[in-house]
Amino acid sequence: MPLGPGRAGRVGVIGHPVAKTAVVAKAVSPGPSPVAKTAVVAAAVTPGRGRRRI
Amino acid sequence: MTETALDELGPVDYLVVEFPAGASNFTGEMAAELVALVEAGTIRVIDVLILTKNEDGSVDAMELSDIEQLGELQAIEAQLAELLAEDDVVHLAACMEPGSTAGVLIWENLWAAPFAAAARRSGGQLIANGRIPIQAIIASIEADEALVTEGV
Repeated sequence: MPLGPGRAGRVGVIGHPVAKTAVVAKAVSPGPSPVAKTAVVAAAVTPGRGRRRI
Repeated sequence: MTETALDELGPVDYLVVEFPAGASNFTGEMAAELVALVEAGTIRVIDVLILTKNEDGSVDAMELSDIEQLGELQAIEAQLAELLAEDDVVHLAACMEPGSTAGVLIWENLWAAPFAAAARRSGGQLIANGRIPIQAIIASIEADEALVTEGV
């Protein structure tokens, strides 16, 4: 199916081939269920819970 | 676009959602959620394309207007601009697996526009932005927990 006429001969806005988003292997390893992991993430980003290491 | 309009433009993002061969399950739920975001004034959809990557690596692109039964997406289709150029289609399809279909969505974050404009008026300039994958947060937490378990 042809692209819309407005797309031909224009300068693109992406500029480079897009790489597939990497999935962190650790996060998909066996362990707590996805629901449990979501709860852990929610707790980690709760205000006041400091875990910053610099 | 005028200078004033550009100054009020919110950040524009894109995403490519891939549906591996035989794995799609379109119920209309995605369209409903997208329309809800638009109707709430959270985003403005700028461009939509549907890409299919053939087994030989060639790519077919379909405009939203090519779909006969748009349903709720009809209102969105009427507002679209053809921002993506032909070259962009090739670039975006680079991340697709052969045999898959993908939806490409370009949108303006209307919710962020007032803050971004205020930051510019205050002399600020964006020097970095990005998205932290939930998987990366989980991995970080798990790494922390492993260190605690090991007594480090």
